[in-house]
Amino acid sequence: MEGLNFLENRGLIALLAAILPLFSFVFILSSKRGGGANFALSTISLSFLLSMYLFSHIWNAEPEHKQFSWFMIGKVQFYAGILLNNLSILMMVLVSGISVLVHIYSREYMKNDPNIHRYWAYLGLFCFSMLGLVISDSLLLIYLFWELVGFSSYLLIGFWFSKHAASQAAKKAFIMNRIGDLGFLTGILIIYTQFQTLDLARLFGDGGLISTSSIENGLWISGSQQIPAIWLSIAGLAFFLGAMAKSAQFPLHTWLPDAMEGPTSVSSLIHAATMVAAGVFLIARIYPVFDPLVLDIMVWVGAFTAFMAATIALTQNDIKRILAYSTISQLGFMVMALGIGAYSESIFHLATHAFFKCLLFLAAGSVIHQLHHYCEKYKHNFDHQDIRLMGGLRKRMPFAFFGMCLASAALVGLPLTSGFLSKDSILIRTFEWTATREGVFVILPWLMVLTSWLTAFYIFRLVFKVFFGESREIKADKLGQISDSPVQMKYVLLILSFFCTFIVFAFNPASFESSWLWKGFEVSMIREISVYHWLVPLILNLGSFLLIFITYRIYVLDNGPQSMKGTWLYRISNQEWFFNEIYNFMFIRSVERLSLLSYRFDRTVIDGLVISMATLTKTISSIIDWFDRRIIDGLVNASGSLSRYIGRFFKNFQSGRLQHYLTTMLLVVLSFFILSYLI
Amino acid sequence: MIPIAHFMLISAGLFCIGLYAVLTRRNAIQVLIGIEFMINAAVLNFVAFGKYDKIAGGGQMFALFAIVLAAAGVAVALAIILNVYKYFKSIDPTKTDTLKD
Repeated sequence: MEGLNFLENRGLIALLAAILPLFSFVFILSSKRGGGANFALSTISLSFLLSMYLFSHIWNAEPEHKQFSWFMIGKVQFYAGILLNNLSILMMVLVSGISVLVHIYSREYMKNDPNIHRYWAYLGLFCFSMLGLVISDSLLLIYLFWELVGFSSYLLIGFWFSKHAASQAAKKAFIMNRIGDLGFLTGILIIYTQFQTLDLARLFGDGGLISTSSIENGLWISGSQQIPAIWLSIAGLAFFLGAMAKSAQFPLHTWLPDAMEGPTSVSSLIHAATMVAAGVFLIARIYPVFDPLVLDIMVWVGAFTAFMAATIALTQNDIKRILAYSTISQLGFMVMALGIGAYSESIFHLATHAFFKCLLFLAAGSVIHQLHHYCEKYKHNFDHQDIRLMGGLRKRMPFAFFGMCLASAALVGLPLTSGFLSKDSILIRTFEWTATREGVFVILPWLMVLTSWLTAFYIFRLVFKVFFGESREIKADKLGQISDSPVQMKYVLLILSFFCTFIVFAFNPASFESSWLWKGFEVSMIREISVYHWLVPLILNLGSFLLIFITYRIYVLDNGPQSMKGTWLYRISNQEWFFNEIYNFMFIRSVERLSLLSYRFDRTVIDGLVISMATLTKTISSIIDWFDRRIIDGLVNASGSLSRYIGRFFKNFQSGRLQHYLTTMLLVVLSFFILSYLI
Repeated sequence: MIPIAHFMLISAGLFCIGLYAVLTRRNAIQVLIGIEFMINAAVLNFVAFGKYDKIAGGGQMFALFAIVLAAAGVAVALAIILNVYKYFKSIDPTKTDTLKD
């Protein structure tokens, strides 16, 4: 009977699901043994099961909202609680599901790391923060978990902190995210000022405070409260800034490629379900707050990010860096989709992307893992993340190859994959939305199509370079020594491969409208234009296939067009649009200069002032000292010695000799007579 | 008739000699002798001036009186000197200086 009651209390279950990984974090960290794998895996699995249970009850059903009063400031009561609706429950399943797979994968991948128990503990913390983030019902709580996500990602990115690059990358990620956090905080403060509450359901729910507030005569009015309308836009921008940092949107994207210094399994977790998804999730969660201006900015930021990241990915040589930029690009797609109002499409893409990006990373991770083992075994040192040095691994690592191919196909959006459904849905929506706009917006859908084609090029460049052709670094006779990854990793790859197919999301492989996931969210407001529904996927896929073929010719058959190396386009792309250099120049260098300047200012002006003050005081005090010694003491001493001399003088009369006394007496009497005679 | 000034001069000379002895001698007895000189200078003055008081002879009377007193004083002084000698084993007045500060 009690068990039944427990299962009825969904808020409690969600809470338990979120807390379990935290428990694992605390337990593993305090036990300090070189293990913890089983414990971490079992807690996260339990979390996943609970999430699935909740999912089955809440998906497309009544949202669950449980809260209790937390604290009071003045007369305003703050609540903490759990809000489970379609969005958060989907994220819960996604986060815990991906985490389970990553945990299983990590058992092999991180096997011989000396600090393995730290790794498991941090993973627990990371999952806890992300799960907490998605179920929280108040902006304040979300902010709290938001920070925790940032912090735990910092720990994980810098897991191999003895490596200089890793610790630098961790710091970079943390600092970039702080910029976004500032935006988020600003947004929270504006919302609080206007509505005196941070409760999500009250703010953003049906008939919530945001939707009932109105803008009249340049004033943003809610009840009796009114502030200038510009604050609505500022709030939207501030929240968006927060999301930009977490979801690595231009111009705050540079931390994500550097974050590749962490373990590959962590990268996969960050890129698939946690961390970067948090930004998109935040935008989706507080969607009503964004006004048209902010949405337009979102569109362009997303589109530009997608395009820029895709062009950068074209020429990168580090296998993980390519994937990192592809993530940024896909996040750009999601943000852009949210900007045009394609809410459900964006979430749909977030979900499908989570699986295929996770698969891409884990497949890449197994390649790196096996090459690393090969390196160690045969003392053959080379950079085992550089795709220029790989090749011909197709036959040696069929599982990784299969997974990578399938995930790449999904990333590009080839038919029968999950990416086909979600990505094409975004592009279709973009075309439909643009039809209602004019001016510069006309290029938007074509920019996105171009980005999609670039995606096909760069991801298949990776696949061909790694798996096809001849091995470039390892000699052909030694290639046989490389084997496919251990069995646990293989299973994970297989499971993820299954989730990259259309069947998981929709029964009809050609129509995203038939997807249960897409239907789970409010259908977007964009007017449908049916011609796009078959034309866009057609154009897109024809182009993609063509490009894949070209890529094949260039990288496998080696008879493609002349190399682009050396041209300025190549340089821009290879140097990642010089963003690091620009930031280095604009911010780091200027900050350095500023600090040098202030250092000098400190040294010369402040120190000089202090020193001159000190000198002045010293001089004055030495004068006073002199005065004291000579004048005051002198006076005292003089009066002292005067009385001493007088005393000494008169002492002489007291000689004790009778005749002296008599002489004195005589002299006195004589002088008395002389004086009286003279006067 | 011997003028009074001569008496005065003799008396002053006597007094000065006595005073000198008192101030300079290194022997208490000699100092005492100096004192006697000075008393006798005074007595001489009494007698000299007594010439002008023929009826009462006050000067003579005082002179006698002073001689008796001086004798008594010498007796006392000698007793003191004796005691001083007993105490200090010396009658040099420069050595008896325990009164000094």
